[in-house]
Amino acid sequence: MFGSDAVSQLDAARQVAETDSAVVGVASVDVPSGPRQVLADRRAARFAYVEPKGKRVYTARERAELLLDDGSFVEMAPLRTAGTRPDGTASGSGVVAGWGLVGGRPVVAICHDAAVASGAIGAVMAESIQAAQRFAIDRGYPIVYVNDSGGARVPDGIFALHGCGGIFALNVQAQQRVPQISLILGPCAGAAAYSPALTDWTIMVKGQSQMFLTGPDIVKAATGEDATAEEIGGSHTHTVTSGVAHLEVDSEEEAFEATRQLLSFLPSRKGGRQAVLGAVPANPGAVARLPEVVPEKSSVIFDVNAVIDGVLDNGPRLELMPEHAPSVVTLFGRLDGRPVGVVANQPAARGGILDSKASVKLARFVEFCGRFDLPVITFVDVPGFLPGTVEEGRGVITHGAKVLKAYVETTSPKLTVILRKAFGGAYIAMGSASLGAHVTWAWANSEIAVMGPGGAVALLNRRELAAADDPDALRTELAAKYREDVARPYLAAEAGIVDDVIHAEETRDRMVAALRMLTAGESA
Amino acid sequence: MIEARADIVGNIWKITARVGDQVARGDTVAVLESMKMEIPVVAPAGGHVSRILVDVNQIVQEGDPVVEIDQTASA
Repeated sequence: MFGSDAVSQLDAARQVAETDSAVVGVASVDVPSGPRQVLADRRAARFAYVEPKGKRVYTARERAELLLDDGSFVEMAPLRTAGTRPDGTASGSGVVAGWGLVGGRPVVAICHDAAVASGAIGAVMAESIQAAQRFAIDRGYPIVYVNDSGGARVPDGIFALHGCGGIFALNVQAQQRVPQISLILGPCAGAAAYSPALTDWTIMVKGQSQMFLTGPDIVKAATGEDATAEEIGGSHTHTVTSGVAHLEVDSEEEAFEATRQLLSFLPSRKGGRQAVLGAVPANPGAVARLPEVVPEKSSVIFDVNAVIDGVLDNGPRLELMPEHAPSVVTLFGRLDGRPVGVVANQPAARGGILDSKASVKLARFVEFCGRFDLPVITFVDVPGFLPGTVEEGRGVITHGAKVLKAYVETTSPKLTVILRKAFGGAYIAMGSASLGAHVTWAWANSEIAVMGPGGAVALLNRRELAAADDPDALRTELAAKYREDVARPYLAAEAGIVDDVIHAEETRDRMVAALRMLTAGESA
Repeated sequence: MIEARADIVGNIWKITARVGDQVARGDTVAVLESMKMEIPVVAPAGGHVSRILVDVNQIVQEGDPVVEIDQTASA
């Protein structure tokens, strides 16, 4: 199967060749393989369809075409080759790279060609990838990497390593310029697994994609561990346990669709125009339920998606890392037609706590939003950072600090609403005013305090409690008093630590107004 | 056999399932108290409860088994 662009180029070349013969007449018969025919032959050989192997469904060129708007793919340096096949024809560089459109906006696509040396990255392939990366960085177009490669091409030796290093360096350089999305559509080892880790979002196909430093054979040889490729680096490993990848889908087609959807929320480049559409009201049913979503009792769990539904535009959402560290939710959606990044504690999963993994997930998401000027909307109902030996051993302090840093460094509009409880360090971390939130609100039933009423009373009233005839009764009484006098949001509002105390159903209108105010400068 | 496991460190506050109960995937079999939150322990698959592996007020670590579920009887 040919790319439509390649087909049209081929057809045109053949037509011109035939026309030339007719016009020039007898003389041209003596040179049947004239320059035009040579080009046509070379294109035919280079674009020959090679049946995808294994679980792969499409060739590299087909993948580029399926990712991009119909007929928009233009391949860069299509004749570039790393070597020749036994029949003397060019094998290709090992990558199909070029540009096209997604939703009408330019995007650079770099697709490993598993039909050429299993997509192994040699010196020539690396140069082709780097050329496409430089083009994207120069023009300010997002890059989509379709990874399907066993890693560095061993016969190319250190030239392959040097080429891979150059790709990584450009991955890093591109971070400050354009969004980068990596699709994993086959077993990806070594360099083909590292490059995605330097990009923004990675998508894997269930049962088809793996990412690992090395596969089962070398793992077995190196450490003796017996594990399958799927166990070492399958989509479940990386989207649930490790957090290395951010979305798991069921097919190549779904991977392309998810990529297109992800790009629909993003500007083409840092500082580029936001992908604002017409405003859509929130789901009316969700709006009606909003005042009843959050249980009054602070220990009872609920699904924070019901709050998000009652505030955001009723349109497409894309949740990233839904299965990894689910005690925080990170998703893209729209508010007043404007793409926003949403961060929310999820009480329905592990109580909505912050731990090491949740912190890394949250910090990465906020940092990304900041880099591309996406407003960050934070919904807070957090019992705290999870303490204890396990989390300290995982470095929760270091990881928690990343959340603080991400919020402070993010200069895009930051709007925060405290739904129910916000205690201690976790209160600060969840997009507080102190970290630079532009506007913060608290719902009327919420509690903001250095610790929960129970803990605070035990500490502050230790002597009274020890002397009491009925310590439990006194503790309950003092905790209730603390909740009303200290933890209620009015103290914070009177001190200017939250901007206002609001009813749940007022949240969307307040946020829309704030967002318009904060983004008014864009068009002024 | 499959186990419903605690997904956070905490104290077993109540055990809601009894041996012999039929449970579906996602059903709550016990409730943990952790971080002043009531955090459910849910069945990872349907089946019948074959053993309760913890006591009320016992501290469990993340990943500890709480209830054993026999999947063979679920059909």
